[in-house]
Amino acid sequence: MVAEKCNFKENMVTRIVDLRSDTVTKPTEAMRAAMASAEVDDDVLGNDPTALRLETEMAKTMGKEAALFVPSGTMGNLICVLTHCDVRGSEVILGDNSHIYIFENGGIATIGGVHPRPVKNNDDGTIDIDLIEAAIRDPMGELFYPTTKLICLENSHANSGGRCLSVEYTDRVGKVAKKHGLKLHIDGARIFNASVALGVPVDRLVQAADSVSVCLSKGIGAPVGSVIVGSKNFIAKARRLRKTLGGGMRQIGILCAAALVALQENVGKLESDHKKARLLADGLNEIKGLKVDVCSVETNMIFIDIEEGSWTTAEMICKYMEERGILLMQESPSRMRVVLHHQISATDVQYALSCFQQAVKGVQNEIGI
Amino acid sequence: MINTDKLEGADKPYIIHHLWVPRDLVCYPGAEKMVTRIVDLRSDTVTKPTEAMRAAMANAEVDDDVLGHDPSCFRLETEIAKILGKEAALFVPLGTMANLISVLVHCDIRGSEVILGDNSHIHIYENGGIATLGGVHPRTVKNNDDGTMDIHLIEAAIRDPKGELVYPTTRLICLENTHGNSGGRCLSVDYTDRVGEVAKRHGLKLHIDGARIFNASIALGVPVDRLVQAADSASVCLSKGLGAPVGSVIVGSNSFITKARRVRKTLGGGMRQVGILCAAALVALQENVEKLESDHRNARFLADGLNEIKGLRVDTSCVETNIVCVEIEEDSQTTAAKLCKDMEDYDILLMAMGSSRLRIVFHHQISSSDVHYALSCFQHSMNGVRNENDS
Repeated sequence: MVAEKCNFKENMVTRIVDLRSDTVTKPTEAMRAAMASAEVDDDVLGNDPTALRLETEMAKTMGKEAALFVPSGTMGNLICVLTHCDVRGSEVILGDNSHIYIFENGGIATIGGVHPRPVKNNDDGTIDIDLIEAAIRDPMGELFYPTTKLICLENSHANSGGRCLSVEYTDRVGKVAKKHGLKLHIDGARIFNASVALGVPVDRLVQAADSVSVCLSKGIGAPVGSVIVGSKNFIAKARRLRKTLGGGMRQIGILCAAALVALQENVGKLESDHKKARLLADGLNEIKGLKVDVCSVETNMIFIDIEEGSWTTAEMICKYMEERGILLMQESPSRMRVVLHHQISATDVQYALSCFQQAVKGVQNEIGI
Repeated sequence: MINTDKLEGADKPYIIHHLWVPRDLVCYPGAEKMVTRIVDLRSDTVTKPTEAMRAAMANAEVDDDVLGHDPSCFRLETEIAKILGKEAALFVPLGTMANLISVLVHCDIRGSEVILGDNSHIHIYENGGIATLGGVHPRTVKNNDDGTMDIHLIEAAIRDPKGELVYPTTRLICLENTHGNSGGRCLSVDYTDRVGEVAKRHGLKLHIDGARIFNASIALGVPVDRLVQAADSASVCLSKGLGAPVGSVIVGSNSFITKARRVRKTLGGGMRQVGILCAAALVALQENVEKLESDHRNARFLADGLNEIKGLRVDTSCVETNIVCVEIEEDSQTTAAKLCKDMEDYDILLMAMGSSRLRIVFHHQISSSDVHYALSCFQHSMNGVRNENDS
């Protein structure tokens, strides 16, 4: 079934192929039905039963004692960092190319008063363990230093192109944290993608962590929400902080019902998102003028670089693609990002690939090459 | 007193002040009752007030500097603003507070970000206060060995306003001159101006942590006001090489200093009859700026001497001001902690930075004979280590 875009009849329904992010997934019929009939109650005064079901299930899936539903991944990370670093004068070690450091408005500092200590992220999303250790503040210098309390990892690592941290690496960082009396938090927005790609059960993957934040609204496909998991004690404090930040919603069972459906239906679909990503990546790398590091494509994300000396720009390609109903994310003048999700079909991928081929050629034709 | 003329080499004690006796070389009745002089090379903050300063402090004209203006403080602030070429100045207890106030005033809107070196004093040694107290998000950029940051990396770190939904807002760039952790290296006026241009182009402010800006000025041969011309604000320490007992100053525009005064009060830095301290600082400014050159000479002399000692290594080309970083070579069989302890037995105090590095800082209360003494003690100590381990 070819994507229905005909440019000679304006009133034809055009199918948009939205590759900007896996957050764009829309609720399915099953989710809408579940939302409509969700059993709800006031989750602040007591416990919304559907939220409780979701939180209980997520805690079990992740191998932790308890869980808490939050409106967004940013709030999930913010609450985790602030709960671990509740003493004024705290410092958190994290990757210099991590989502928390780059894309969360600096909230851990500007709202939470926690000092970030960034350490270089390698291309594969890891941080060298000896650099992590070197960044831990020596308590003997406490007169001048903040106090390191927490290490944060991100799995899969978005800014590296969705690359996975292995369970061995995660365990080793966990050991370093324990040795120095620190906590370990994993920003696991796409932890299920990592689990599927590595073939490691998700609870084993986060075993070394004291807390994890997991997005339900990305590849898992729920309309809204993230979950944080941790010990009972941790989640009790987190609940309070969620209220303070204004994330305590009342009859949230509506959203949790959709999330429960998503968990049941969509975790199994992640593998095919990864397959589509690899297919697209291979195809894009063949196009003269574009470059994709195909061995870095481990999950559902692809970075596309425009080769130096090429006549086109990311902006031009994005515009060309948009005119054909394909939405991409421009990362820089010479880099684009595409993210696959379960509402992108194999035919969409083929369509996108052929449009890319035309986009690069088309620009060349326009310029008269 | 013994006759030192006939003693040679390592036996020749460095007795210039009659109070000095290298204990293991000379022994005569009463030696143990001699007062030993401590050679404190840990930092230039250890300078003690001179007689002239004590007199000035005792006679200082004072008033309540919070309700109005303490006149001695006013004189100091006026003078230092003029010296640094800015509209106004503010006396604060400490360099950490000077930097904290400056960052907080420039970044007074919640959600702000400041670009600074990953090896800068503000990021490493100020308890993370800009974040933990001020709510400002630090964006670090790699410091090169010479204290600079690559200009294109600074530009790359400036947040694109189009991403404001997910980004904090960059408001400020901070430089540090001289750069402490690089061993007191100087940022040139050209480099500073170029960073200033980048800041202006992006609507950002520029703050210079100029704790040792006078050292930089002397070493570069550039007037201090020219050196900070591109900056919107600067913090300057009076209690380091300049030798005042207490205090730093922030300089900037009138409106900046007005806001800074308020933040100072909020932090608890608004002192009343502060003229007492300012009087000493005025003496320091008059007397000690010109002594910085000889601190630099002493540093270079010691650096050259230490680099000759087997087992130690100094990158002498990096010794630009009054700080010397000494590396203990891997095969030398000693550690920084051990060497510091050995030197302490000679009444020489040093700062260990890690397991194989020492830092030495010169100031006007270290004489050239102190330097000779220190050098010979290093030689003695390292020789001793080798002898221990060769036998």
